[in-house]
Amino acid sequence: MTSRFANSSRNSKSAMAVPSLRTALLRSSHRIKLSPNTNILRPRIQTAGLADIKDSLTTSNGTTTYEDDIGSITITEADQVNPNKQKLDDLPDILANPNLTPAQRDLLGRARIPKSLQAMYNKPLKRKPTHGIPVCNLQIRSFSVRNLELQADFALRAAYYLGLPAKGPVPLPHITERWTVPRSNFVHKKSQENFERVTVRRLIQIQDGDSEVVQCWLGYLRQRSYHGVGMKALLWENEGLGVGKRMDEEAGVADAGLETEWGNFGMRMNVKTAEMVEELLGSEAYEKPKRWMEGFWREPIEVARKPNTSSK
Amino acid sequence: MPVQFRAKKLDIGSFINKWVIRDHTKRKVYKEYEPERQALRYIIRNTSLPMRTRAQAQLELSQMHCYTRSTQINNRCLLGGRGKGVFRAFRLARFQFRMNALKGNLPGVRKASW
Repeated sequence: MTSRFANSSRNSKSAMAVPSLRTALLRSSHRIKLSPNTNILRPRIQTAGLADIKDSLTTSNGTTTYEDDIGSITITEADQVNPNKQKLDDLPDILANPNLTPAQRDLLGRARIPKSLQAMYNKPLKRKPTHGIPVCNLQIRSFSVRNLELQADFALRAAYYLGLPAKGPVPLPHITERWTVPRSNFVHKKSQENFERVTVRRLIQIQDGDSEVVQCWLGYLRQRSYHGVGMKALLWENEGLGVGKRMDEEAGVADAGLETEWGNFGMRMNVKTAEMVEELLGSEAYEKPKRWMEGFWREPIEVARKPNTSSK
Repeated sequence: MPVQFRAKKLDIGSFINKWVIRDHTKRKVYKEYEPERQALRYIIRNTSLPMRTRAQAQLELSQMHCYTRSTQINNRCLLGGRGKGVFRAFRLARFQFRMNALKGNLPGVRKASW
């Protein structure tokens, strides 16, 4: 127990950007996930003789030591201000009930954990794909590996229980962004400081899944996503034969809808601009101006010249 | 002259000084007049239109207020109003970025050493 806490305090140096309270919460959740709480496991490990030891402890006043698979626990007299209470606290909640008889306690201690609960402590289960056709690529991103791992783990479990064959999590290359800034607010360019932000990524691929179930899975992940984690999904849908014809039909309908958008393609113009152009060109300023003394102008008349007969 | 565009009431919530307000006003004005600007640009570049019309459009475009130009807009620091050395990713100037990174306010940003 103590060694784990020591670890966490050592790690906190590297994760300087995360507030201490939040890291503490994270650590605790991580601990629960990866290494099962001894209190929960104890009834399974020390099935035999637990009740007896409990009884013997309540009666004896001297130093008592008992050993099990986890390690040895020594309770000295000085620790036992209220021996009854102290020992009850040591036991898991169910067994701590003072009304239980030793036989009942033994029976309870021997009870198995439900399989679904036990699965929490094991690696996430995966279903085998039948054809291996990728349906969905889910990329999970975060700045923190812990959050990322938790989310990826959760996604795999959710996929299993929804009946989706999942592959992963595949670790993708980190994205590292770095910035260098002067330490001071003004001049002193010689003294600078480096900062970085590392984005860690995991890829989970769903194969052979029904598209609706995949949508459901994605929605569930989004609804229950862990803090500080982002996701993006790439989906493929499979079609039956005769897709080309159907797509052509759909394209015709879609084209009609996109006419207004694509009509101005390549002109940096949208509908609003087009309206404005029409308005401008129709305005008074852009009209062809009237000529000076418009009413008094006459179009020139062509006069046929008589052939010159006088020159001889 | 720019007073004609300025909002009567303060309508931003970041660090405030005259530069920030000015930049904010410019952004709003640019947004409002963008279709008009683009329409004029279109008329000027459209060779199928008569020369007179295009010249008229050129004149009008050059006479539009400078606040309607996109080049007038300059990103400013959210916490200090500084106009230089502003990171696009955080919208903070370099010193504010450093202070906040050290405090742990920017998710994922930490001191680098490699």
